[in-house]
Amino acid sequence: MKKNFLKIFLAGIFLTMFSSNLFAKINVVATLPWIADLAKQIGKDHVSITTLVKTSQDPHYVEAKPSLIIAARKADILMYNGLDLEIGYLPVIIESSKNPNIQPGKSGNFDCSQFVTPIEKLSSVDRSMGDIHPRGNPHYHFSPANVLKVAQGMTEILVKIDPANEAYYRKNYQAFYSKWQEKIKKWKSANLAGKKFVAYHTLFSYLAKEFNFQIVGCIEAKPGIPPSSGDIQKIIDTINKTKPAAILANVYSPKKPVDFVAEKTGLKVILVPHDVGSLPGTDDWFSFMDKVISLLSEA
Amino acid sequence: MKIKKITLIFSDLLLISWVAFAPAGMCQDINEKIKSLEDMLKAQQETIQKQQEIIKQLQEELDQIKKQAAEIPAKPEEKPSYTSGGLFGAASAYNPNISLILDTFGYSSSLKKDELEKWNIPSFISEGIDHKEGMNIHAAELYLFAPVDPFFNLYATIPVKQEGVELEEAYLITTNLPAGLQAKIGKFKSGFGRLNSQHSHVWNFVDQPLIYRAFVGHEGINEKGIQLTWLPQLPIYTQFGVEALQGENEILFGSDASSGLHAFSAFIKSSIDVGDYGTLLFGPSVIAGKTRTDSIAEDHIFSGDSTLIGFEFTYKWKPSRWKSFTLQSEYMYRHQKGKLQDTTTQAIQNLTRSQDGIYLQSIYQTGRWGFGTRYDLLEPFKDQYKLDGANISFGNKPWRASAMVEFNPSEFSKIRFQYNYDKSARDGRTNNEWFIQFIGGVGAHAAHTF
Repeated sequence: MKKNFLKIFLAGIFLTMFSSNLFAKINVVATLPWIADLAKQIGKDHVSITTLVKTSQDPHYVEAKPSLIIAARKADILMYNGLDLEIGYLPVIIESSKNPNIQPGKSGNFDCSQFVTPIEKLSSVDRSMGDIHPRGNPHYHFSPANVLKVAQGMTEILVKIDPANEAYYRKNYQAFYSKWQEKIKKWKSANLAGKKFVAYHTLFSYLAKEFNFQIVGCIEAKPGIPPSSGDIQKIIDTINKTKPAAILANVYSPKKPVDFVAEKTGLKVILVPHDVGSLPGTDDWFSFMDKVISLLSEA
Repeated sequence: MKIKKITLIFSDLLLISWVAFAPAGMCQDINEKIKSLEDMLKAQQETIQKQQEIIKQLQEELDQIKKQAAEIPAKPEEKPSYTSGGLFGAASAYNPNISLILDTFGYSSSLKKDELEKWNIPSFISEGIDHKEGMNIHAAELYLFAPVDPFFNLYATIPVKQEGVELEEAYLITTNLPAGLQAKIGKFKSGFGRLNSQHSHVWNFVDQPLIYRAFVGHEGINEKGIQLTWLPQLPIYTQFGVEALQGENEILFGSDASSGLHAFSAFIKSSIDVGDYGTLLFGPSVIAGKTRTDSIAEDHIFSGDSTLIGFEFTYKWKPSRWKSFTLQSEYMYRHQKGKLQDTTTQAIQNLTRSQDGIYLQSIYQTGRWGFGTRYDLLEPFKDQYKLDGANISFGNKPWRASAMVEFNPSEFSKIRFQYNYDKSARDGRTNNEWFIQFIGGVGAHAAHTF
């Protein structure tokens, strides 16, 4: 009796330890919703995806909750944004997960920014400038050119982990690429060139660069620090001088300073999705971009 | 591609010449043949057309790629950031991440200096309070961390205090063990309890709860040893840990208690999410070992065995970066049995202590502001202090109430006010304490644990 119990107990432990190997699906853990969506579009039925950051959350400030650690524990591959966006919590999650697959230097540690050409790199920084990212602006998921490169890199890593399904992943990438080509024509034809906007945070730099419009200033003058009254006065002056079309806010930006600036300048506020799924009708990366482009071009 | 085309054209020419010079008697037969050949020709032409389409498509793709390549600006030649060059020129790239955190506070008490120095907790510890009226530097803590190789990460905490430099923590942690196992080797803060492993700059109050002061001292259980933790692949976060420690904590164990490792601990921590924004963290801990300490009463040395049992509970509700509420509590029960020797008379008595304690704190954060309250109580359930079999009573139960307000100008700095109403001396006297604390951190952005 006792022996049997021990056997069942050991079998149970064995099963929990190696259960990931029993199922063919690749366990992908993605930090951000858009990364999860890309992985889903390339991996489809052959991947099972967990997303760590909720669509309502500010991706800069996430807590390394135990539920995130246990999610990372089972990952075959961890896909993250990089450029220090997740620096406040991801290192703890990776180390505490006790999962050798996703440690830095392993193929299961997949930094999406490795395929990206960052902009706004700063060679000389200190934190009197706020919580800036010296390695470049991390919000490159607004950049179709960079996202395509990430999708390509994702395809290669999935092929490397699961070579048996190479053709499947490549086919899915081809479908992604065809859709991308079709969409980019549509987006480029939207009338964005020459437009001017004010943003709360430096979210839209890549978009502005690729679609030739201008972000004349940010209400949050120093990233991560709520604007002072001086900062607000400064942005109001900028608005009065440059006459932008609207203020671009997102679901996690604080309402108070945004509404105050809007009231003082008469500018309208556009709630722009910051990531896939953060607003209705943004279920995948393409519809997310559709929404962003249409919101901005209608402004 | 070109060669194929040429061959095709050539074969077509041959075909045409053959048809043109064919003898007349073969006409009917030939007609049929011509028909089939025409069909063949058609098929070939279709093939050619298809191939040309493919060529065109490829050309378009190539143009696209070329265009994309042209859009990517050529990388400027990266200049090496070091100037000296030579054999170790690029070594700075391997420098560990460094950060320095200054933790300093102003202190004021309603007690006089000598009263403060004797502000002990009778039956628990004989040590008074070592804050000074006016400004105090808790520490300028230097943190170093980096991967050693693909198998270990290294962390060191080196607080520079007024009294000198200390090695608070220095340990290796494995990153490559299978099956959810991880080992920590070196000097580290024990995984016992909730606050024990936290550094002072992430505490929610300037000082530690009374149970920490009474049972393990204000520095906590910080020991040389080995820790092994296991995180099984379960749907619910549950971490198991065991530790074998040197047992040098001066309150609970003591370096002279025994040679070799003489304190051992075990703990379980579980966590579940409650709703979209809530998280529960809870679990028991136990640590036991040999004790030899002079911290119980003045001019007395105790030697014997100690067991400390703890239970932690944290609930955190955090709907956004700008709002959160945390309820946290820890309970500790300490059982100690051994001999108490008077160092002046050399008299020895048998001492058995079974005492407990609890704290409950809540923190509300809105925007950059935080508000907190904390209640401490010792001996809520158990107050046994038996000398040679006779229980001794020490009077009122020690307790304390605290309130704090903090402002975080950014993620890297903090200003905190705190007030303590301290009745831990058990004799009816009150210690009113006021703190104003400043914390600032520079350097590498170390990630925070939950």
